Amino acid sequence: MAAANIVRSAFNGLLRKSTSYRIPVVCRLSTVATVQKFYAVKAIAKLSYQVQNGVYAQSTRQYSSGAQSKPSPQQIEERVMKVCRTYDKLSGTKLSVDSHFMNDLGLDSLDHVEVIMAMEDEFGFEIPDSDAERLVRPKDIIQYVADKEDIYE
Amino acid sequence: MVSNISKTQILSIYKSLLRESEKFSNYNFRSYAIRRVRDAFKEHKSLTDKNLINKEYQFAKDNIAIIKRQVVIGEMYKTEKLVIENQQ
Repeated sequence: MAAANIVRSAFNGLLRKSTSYRIPVVCRLSTVATVQKFYAVKAIAKLSYQVQNGVYAQSTRQYSSGAQSKPSPQQIEERVMKVCRTYDKLSGTKLSVDSHFMNDLGLDSLDHVEVIMAMEDEFGFEIPDSDAERLVRPKDIIQYVADKEDIYE
Repeated sequence: MVSNISKTQILSIYKSLLRESEKFSNYNFRSYAIRRVRDAFKEHKSLTDKNLINKEYQFAKDNIAIIKRQVVIGEMYKTEKLVIENQQ
């Protein structure tokens, strides 16, 4: 709709001015062209944004660290616990922030590696093995993620 | 020349195997590889004999190479995703 209006006004301008001045018309046309280009770019940007929203509507993952807000400690805790609960060997257990994966929840070290891998997938960064072996409670993972993302209470 | 293989090394190769297996583009190969890796490690988790551990470690190393190659080949002959994969 906007584009049609611009074209019409450009056409009017052409009709009005073309008899008396030549140069301003040219100027006008070029400004119209840039305005149109601007609208086209805006439209494309808007479109891709919506598509992105559609695809990522379910998750709150944000891989770029631009102007987006950081997750709060509560959100991190929520996500860590969600990942723990979705791991099939932990779904039936009584899970709390302080429970020890091996001693309280009966996981072996292989399961622990898989939990850590799930955390890497959730938060989008790699956890080195040397750090991973210290993260034996959900609490430790929450603290580790918060440190990585520079989040303090 | 039997060298000791630490727990960290084994856990690390377990993780790499799973990570590589996740890269299969074919759903069936991917699920099989992940399941096979898990089962193999669970099966042998109580091994204590150094020689046997060494043998299994070597087997894991050979297989990670195989998986890497097969992922690349699978990438060349990709097919459409299965219906069960398109839940989004």
